[in-house]
Amino acid sequence: MRVPENKIKYWVLGFYLLILGTWQALFSAGIIPDYLFPSPVQVGRRIWELAADNYLWPSVKATFQRMAIGFSIAASIGLLIGLLMGMSRVVNSCLKSLFLGLQTLPTAAWVPVSLLLFGLSEHGIYFVIIMSSVPAVAIATSDGILHIPTLYLRVARTLGTPTYAMPIRVILPAALPSIVTGLKLGWTLAWHGGVSAELIKSSIGLGYLLYMGRELNDAAQVIGIMVLTILFGLLLDRFVFGLIQKRILLRWGLAQNSS
Amino acid sequence: MEAADPNSNVAAAESPPVKLRLTNLSKTYAGQTQTVEALQPVNVEIREGEFVIFFGPSGCGKSTLLNIIAGFETATDGEITLDGTAVEGPHHDRLMMFQEHGLFPWLNVIENVTYGLKRKFRFKPKARRETARQYLQMVHLEEFEKSSIHELSGGMKQRVALARGLAPDPKVLLVDEAFTALDALTRAKLYGDIQEIFLRTKKTIILVTHDPREAACLGDRVLVFSGRPGRIKADIKIDLPRPRDINDPAVAECAATIMTQLEAPTDESSGK
Repeated sequence: MRVPENKIKYWVLGFYLLILGTWQALFSAGIIPDYLFPSPVQVGRRIWELAADNYLWPSVKATFQRMAIGFSIAASIGLLIGLLMGMSRVVNSCLKSLFLGLQTLPTAAWVPVSLLLFGLSEHGIYFVIIMSSVPAVAIATSDGILHIPTLYLRVARTLGTPTYAMPIRVILPAALPSIVTGLKLGWTLAWHGGVSAELIKSSIGLGYLLYMGRELNDAAQVIGIMVLTILFGLLLDRFVFGLIQKRILLRWGLAQNSS
Repeated sequence: MEAADPNSNVAAAESPPVKLRLTNLSKTYAGQTQTVEALQPVNVEIREGEFVIFFGPSGCGKSTLLNIIAGFETATDGEITLDGTAVEGPHHDRLMMFQEHGLFPWLNVIENVTYGLKRKFRFKPKARRETARQYLQMVHLEEFEKSSIHELSGGMKQRVALARGLAPDPKVLLVDEAFTALDALTRAKLYGDIQEIFLRTKKTIILVTHDPREAACLGDRVLVFSGRPGRIKADIKIDLPRPRDINDPAVAECAATIMTQLEAPTDESSGK
C-alpha cells in the first residue's frame, strides 16, 4: 500500500492516539495501582496544576537559560577545537581518540565529577552541559573540515585567498553541513546532560521537577515532566536545528528539494 | 593551418610579446619500484592574446602541465616565466577554471564572482560589485546575480565559474576540461560565449581538452600531446575566422587533421 506524502501526517497522528488509547486502556484495566501508573488524563491534569501554580514556567525558563548559555559556550569551544583538529593531523590524531572515548561515556556520568568539582553551585550544570556536547561538536567539525572537497581549496587558492583568510572564508563555510550535524547532535547530548545535572543539583528546572516528583511519590508529575522534556527536546531538534540543517544541505547541493 | 615542430619558436615579425614561457619543464613521479615520466621536457612559448589548446588522450600529461602552470603541482625540472618573471605556486595571475564548477554554495552568484576581487579593490565593495556585474553580463547571467548556486543549471554554473575566473583579470586563464561534463547543446552555446569573450577581452587562454572538435573550434593553436611518456607531439596553428561554430565543416576538417597528428607515428615511439 502506497500512502501519499501528504496523508502520512494523519497516520502519525493516529499512531500517537493509539499510544494514548493503549495507555488509557492499560490504566482502566487496573493491573497496576494508579499511584504507580497514572492515566494520560491524570498526567495532563498534573502538568496543568504545575503550570497554574506557577511552578512549571520558571523551571522551563531556567532549564532553557542554562541550556542556551551552556550550549553556546560548548559550541564555541567545540568549533575552535574542531577547527584546530581539522587543520592539524597531529592534533586530530591525539584528540579524536580521546573525544571518541569520552563520547561513549553516558552524559549523566559527568554529574558526580561536577559535584566533586563545583559542589552544588550552578557552574556544575554548565560543566556537565559543556562536557557532554563539546566532543560531538569538535569531532563533527574536524570531520567536516577533513572531508572538504579539494576542489574548493584549489578554487580558493587560484582565486588568491591568503592563507590567514582560509578558515573564515572557505574552510568553516565548506564544512558547515557537517558542523550543523554536529551541533544538532551536540544539542541533544547537552540536553541529556543538562537535565541529568538538574536532577541532582538544582532547586529549579525540568530536572528538578522530575526529582521532586519522585520525592513526592507523584508518578503523574514524573511522567508529565518526562513527556515535556521529550517534547521540548524534540521541538528544538526538529524546528531549530532540523530546519537550519535542511536549508544548508539543500543550498550546499547535498539534498534534493522534496517539492 | 600548419603543423610545425613543437620545439621551434619561429615568431612572425609582428607577433605579440611572449606571455608565458615554459622552459625544459618536466615531471617525473618517483614510485617505489620505478619512476614514471609523466612529462618529458617541454619548451613552449605562449603569446599574449593567444588561445592555446592542450589536446591529447587521458594520461598524456596535458592536465599535469596545466596544474604545474597553475601552481598546484611542482615541476621536477624546468622553469615557468610569466611576462618574463619566474613564477611558482598558485596565484590569481594564472587563474584556473576546473572541470567541475567549484562555485562556493555558501555564496550567491554575484558573491562568487566578487570573491576573487577581494584583493583587487580592497575597501570598495561597490567597485567589486560593478566589475562582477560586467562579467556576469558577458556570460549573459546578469539577471541571476542574487540566485543561489543550487538553483542554476549545469551550463549556468559553468558560466558563473567563467565570469568568476575572468573578473580578477588574470594574465592567463587556465581552463581544465571545463566543458566536457555538459550536454552538447549547452556546450555549443558556451563555445560561442567563450569565443565572444575571447575576442572582446583579448585574454590569453590555455584550455585542456580531449575533444578534437572542441580544440579545433576554440584554439588559435593546438598542442597535441601523446602519452607514456607524456610529450608534445605537434603544434598546429588554426586560422579559421571567429566566431567558429562547432558544427562547421571546416572545424570538423580541422579536428580530423588534429587527430591525424595525434595518431601519426614518430621516430621515438609508434604513437600512443
